[in-house]
Amino acid sequence: MNIQGLLHEQSIFIPLQANEKNAVIEAMIDGLQAAGCLSDKQAYLDAVLTREQTGSTGIGFGVAIPHGKSSGVSQAGLAFAKLSEPTDWQSLDGEPVKAVFMIAVPEEAAGNDHLKILIALSRKLIDSEFREQLMAVQNASQLTALLETI
Amino acid sequence: MKKILAVTACPTGVAHTYMAAESLIKAAKANDISLKVETRGAVGVENEFTDQEIAEAHAIIVAADTDVLESRFEGKPVVKVPVAQAIKNPAGLLEEALNKEAAAPADLGKQVEEAKAKRSASRTGAYKHLMTGVSAMLPLVVAGGLLIAFSFFFGIDAGAEEGTIGAALSTIGGAAFTLMIPILAGFIAFSIAEKPGMAPGLIGGALAASTGAGFLGGIAAGFIAGYTAKYLKQFIKLPRNLEGLKPIMLIPLLASAITGLLMVYVVGKPVGAAMTGLTNWLTSLGSTNAILLGLLLGAMMAFDMGGPLNKAAYTFAVGLLASDIYGPMAAVMAAGMTPPLGLWLATLIAKNKFTKEEVDAGKAASVLGISFITEGAIPFAAGDPLRVIPSIMVGSAVTGALSMFFGATLRAPHGGIFVLPIPNAVGQLGMYFLAIVIGTVVTALMLALLKKPLVKN
Repeated sequence: MNIQGLLHEQSIFIPLQANEKNAVIEAMIDGLQAAGCLSDKQAYLDAVLTREQTGSTGIGFGVAIPHGKSSGVSQAGLAFAKLSEPTDWQSLDGEPVKAVFMIAVPEEAAGNDHLKILIALSRKLIDSEFREQLMAVQNASQLTALLETI
Repeated sequence: MKKILAVTACPTGVAHTYMAAESLIKAAKANDISLKVETRGAVGVENEFTDQEIAEAHAIIVAADTDVLESRFEGKPVVKVPVAQAIKNPAGLLEEALNKEAAAPADLGKQVEEAKAKRSASRTGAYKHLMTGVSAMLPLVVAGGLLIAFSFFFGIDAGAEEGTIGAALSTIGGAAFTLMIPILAGFIAFSIAEKPGMAPGLIGGALAASTGAGFLGGIAAGFIAGYTAKYLKQFIKLPRNLEGLKPIMLIPLLASAITGLLMVYVVGKPVGAAMTGLTNWLTSLGSTNAILLGLLLGAMMAFDMGGPLNKAAYTFAVGLLASDIYGPMAAVMAAGMTPPLGLWLATLIAKNKFTKEEVDAGKAASVLGISFITEGAIPFAAGDPLRVIPSIMVGSAVTGALSMFFGATLRAPHGGIFVLPIPNAVGQLGMYFLAIVIGTVVTALMLALLKKPLVKN
């Protein structure tokens, strides 16, 4: 699957030095901003934080997927971070988070190909084998290679 | 095997919707459970359930933080949780869904009630007005028809022997029948124009009866009276201190005069002639035409199970009772009983083609069938219309044709199997019963033939 155009060099953090949920989110949003996915950083940040308030995006198994749909997103984007220290995310299973995918979706994006990729990624995260491979990723090119297999 | 449906949805529609779906599918595979998941996410609705799948499902899991059109699942056991729950504990959810009680057979009665209520609510315009009139008339027809039938118990000419109880019963029944067409017309007009329509409607109906225009004339009178009163109410403008005269004097007077004059000079004669022609045709019906009429009425009764076509056939038959024609009534009632009865029999002889819920519901359908509540077939037809509706139409058409062919008659417009033991309510009782049995068997055989075995997966 073609993950390029969705996941940029600037939004991959292996590793990310942060030990607090909000710091992780802000660092990753900066990455998306640098990659040119955001037109209004604050609006997207608000969308992500609002989403977190309705229920944690820590889906368990050490993975979190903060995400937001906002007019502050100019093109769909993905950010990835492997955290240097396991970080509390109020996850469904209570476990701290080691890997984070951040998803940015523009307000009007129905039927978009990028959406289909993000959906495929979400489905794939339920697969324990895929998660193990994800946790073992050492650098950006390994990550890209893994995501190409989806 | 029990089939489970699940629908997942979340506000953003890219992550949780699909992770929940994936978790459920994975858990279902691991536990060998038949599951279909509908996702409602940012790319729209995928894998949308059909009405048939919903009807066949044992239970439905709703794992959603947004609206998923839950009204589709009415009457079904539903497990409702936030979408995250499906990611956290998919196996537990599936188990909970499997352990849900299947919709109880008693629920069929509830579903039928709901279907009926929905239909009454959706009735509009002329059809609604007509049905208001027919339902107001029915108690008179029931009481009148059965009391006259009772009077025959004292000998076929008992009504003519003055002073006997038979004569009294016959007189009472006759009084009920005299009111039938005025009440029909009165309540049609009432439905259109409320209280100001009542008097002109009743008067128009009485004129229809006395001029021989029968129930067709009564229906015409009701609509004329109703719309006349309604427009007078709108268009007559009086100074405020005289406004009180409008509903009590002006409208009844003018609307009754207009309706009455129209009935006497315009509508009465042609409708009367049409009614006489219809009556003569029906009384001298050859067996071929009788069978054709029975086929038609029967198929109409089953086609929409209590809908407009069914009510048209029923109203036709009930109206003819006022003209002493009892054959179509017998055909219509028999044909209205066989759809639920046939479905019940089919659930017995072709168990593998119905879900467990439907087999249970079959028992309740049998009760609705013997009570002449055709709507009892609706829940089955809703699940598989293209196979169920043709089957019940064929069965009902056969029953209607046989009833007409046997010359069966029925003096009461309702009651199902419970009017059969009433002396003289039914003519050709044995053959009539046979017609119902044959129609039930034909319906069940058609269903057993057409319906596909449930897919086991």
